[in-house]
Amino acid sequence: MEKLDYPKMQETLYFEKLENGLEVFLLPKPGFSKTYATFAARFGSIDHRFIPAGSAEERIVPDGIAHFLEHKMFEEPDGDVFSRFAAHGASANAYTSFDRTVYLFSAAGHVAENLRTLLDFVQNPYFTDENVEKEKGIIIQEIEMYRDNPDWRVYFGLIESLYQRHPVHIDIAGTSESVRSITKELLYECYRTFYHPSNMMLFAVGGFEPEAIMELVRANQSAKSFGPGGPVTRIKEPEPMEVRRRRLETHLPVSLPKCLFGFKDEPVERPGDEAVRRELTTKLMLEALLGPSSDLYQELYNDNLISDNFSFEYQLGPGYAFSVIGGETRDPGELERRVCEHLYRAAERGVDAQVFERTRKKRIGSLLRMLNSPEAIASEFISFRFKGGDLLKAVEILESIGPADAEKRLREHARADRLAVSVVRSKPA
Amino acid sequence: MYGAGFGFNIFKRGDHQVVQFRIDVINDRFVSASGSLLEEAMMFLGETVTAPALENGAFRRDYVEAEKTTVLKRLEAIINDKIRYAAERCVEEMCGDDVYRLNALGQKDDLPGIGAASLYQRYDEWLQEAVWDLYVAGDTTLEEVAELASQAFRLPPGEPANYSPPAPLPPREEVRTVTERLDVRQGKLNMGLTTGCLYGSEGYPALLLYNGLLGAYPHSKLFVNVREKASLAYYASSRLDGHKGILTIQSGIDIQNYEKALGIIRAQLEAMRRGDFSREDIAKTKAMLINQLRELNDSALERIGFDFSAALAGRTMGSEEMIRAIEAVTPEEIVAAAQNVRLDTIYFLRDLKGES
Repeated sequence: MEKLDYPKMQETLYFEKLENGLEVFLLPKPGFSKTYATFAARFGSIDHRFIPAGSAEERIVPDGIAHFLEHKMFEEPDGDVFSRFAAHGASANAYTSFDRTVYLFSAAGHVAENLRTLLDFVQNPYFTDENVEKEKGIIIQEIEMYRDNPDWRVYFGLIESLYQRHPVHIDIAGTSESVRSITKELLYECYRTFYHPSNMMLFAVGGFEPEAIMELVRANQSAKSFGPGGPVTRIKEPEPMEVRRRRLETHLPVSLPKCLFGFKDEPVERPGDEAVRRELTTKLMLEALLGPSSDLYQELYNDNLISDNFSFEYQLGPGYAFSVIGGETRDPGELERRVCEHLYRAAERGVDAQVFERTRKKRIGSLLRMLNSPEAIASEFISFRFKGGDLLKAVEILESIGPADAEKRLREHARADRLAVSVVRSKPA
Repeated sequence: MYGAGFGFNIFKRGDHQVVQFRIDVINDRFVSASGSLLEEAMMFLGETVTAPALENGAFRRDYVEAEKTTVLKRLEAIINDKIRYAAERCVEEMCGDDVYRLNALGQKDDLPGIGAASLYQRYDEWLQEAVWDLYVAGDTTLEEVAELASQAFRLPPGEPANYSPPAPLPPREEVRTVTERLDVRQGKLNMGLTTGCLYGSEGYPALLLYNGLLGAYPHSKLFVNVREKASLAYYASSRLDGHKGILTIQSGIDIQNYEKALGIIRAQLEAMRRGDFSREDIAKTKAMLINQLRELNDSALERIGFDFSAALAGRTMGSEEMIRAIEAVTPEEIVAAAQNVRLDTIYFLRDLKGES
């Protein structure tokens, strides 16, 4: 077990790569009552075309299968997993995103029992025709719930408009039709391909003793046998830099139109420093130009074009990278025009050094405050790791980014020919 | 202040409208700058609350007008999130004329009548009358905080006041059923129930067990029966508002399945009345409730919230005391709590199809 000290963050991280390939990270937080543990697979909604384990032929799987698999993992021959966790007071949950599936629990005691439950249920698939069929009704209601949700629809509407071929544009839960076509055989095939320990990581944070926990994980894993594993072959589809469509409008009953727009960025092909640096620099640049302390934000707020739900983010993962900017507005066209003009102008004139410095200080402060929340640490830690980075080094990287880096990033990113807009508004009367 | 987080919030607790101002700063040991971030934060908070920006003895007109627009937008935006909309509509239908029907932000129709002068007058009255609770969690001492607070907050001297208990909802002879139509795909089935029991009262721990067995967790009856067994919903749960003594149930279902889902939910309420739950179910529910209370220790905000809930109920009760009370609850006490739970209102949000 390696012990990694981060004096600046006043944190110590423990790491071990087990024989079966599983990467284990433990971040003890002395004095915490709670332990929050996550078990993550590199399998998300974008992994729809690949060579299954033990096969030579490529397979295209139904949309939403990673998410379906997440639901089904909670079923065990002897009843469901939630009850097993509840007996030890733990709340369990899971989520699927573009590039990962994460299983987790939170508990203020019984860390050993709960951690074993986590490892064991995720490593014990149990699918039958009957239990797969039964899940379809539940997932279809989940899909219907999201279809009624304007925030989700405007967000996914943007990604669908930005991407022509890359599977990031596929809704994470799929559609009722794609979900109906899922079988237990397909689920087992995905499981065998993506849930090998070498394609997963375990991260736990909380008030535990790291040596004992590492020993528990080691013993648990060495008692199980897995096949050889190895990297998964994913089939990539070339994505042109042009957006699929410039503008998408969807109708749902809303009080005010919702408008999101964003720029499609060159993808970073391999995880590593470049990906992490790119993401941090872009977020810093957007915050400096569009954040609540910016002049533009105040102007837009005073002109009643935005409210406090105006936001922006930057998403970067295997083969995709894009920004998402916007919120609720009385005039989507005007909002888009004002924000984009501001970005294009800043790209010509540059970023104010003082504003940049203030923003950077703010980001560093937010990052340090985030370390109070085990949930936030876990989700960010996995996110950094899957990009080839280290959350606990983020402050150092932020300190090394200068206004010139932000300006360069802005000029690369804010390009009118890579812009798409998604609007959700009420049906015109 | 190194990315200090400042915010305010207005929410309902029982019949009270609670205004919360909060600020969080990082520990001084992380930064090299001289001076205390806690002191800066307290001064900022005190000035924001007790010495707001004024012009000619009133709030600034442009700020007031901008905030009126913001509040209006937020009230109108409730309809965007159908889960929340259905929950609020159900409580509104349930409460009749009771103040608890109101959104914490107030009523749209009152907004036009609010001006910069009248609002400041009301704010000033409120500063004098309101019950104040100041919480500071962190690496500090009561002495340090008391000293800073006396400098930061310009409040009139007075004795600490208490919160009044909520008015009970009048009992209903027959269950009220309300159907509302909107352009939606999924139906939202919500139910409002009275419990006859308030936070801090003797029977409250048993009511927590009742809610846990019925619908608060994935091992609860609603999740198991509506979702896992019948595949009718993605979410099906119950929630307790102990400060008003009401319980709500919520689920998102296919519109065709209304009768079926309603039947299953009613059967779970009936099962709770009969005491149809096992010792293991009780043990799991106790473990979950106790775990939640233990997890509070890690979050400054949640610890503050817990203590404030007790203060609001006129009690001083630590989480350890609550844990002991939960451990002591018997199956008979849960059944007794169940006899007082009454279905009051059924609210169904459905699509526009087939509307006459």
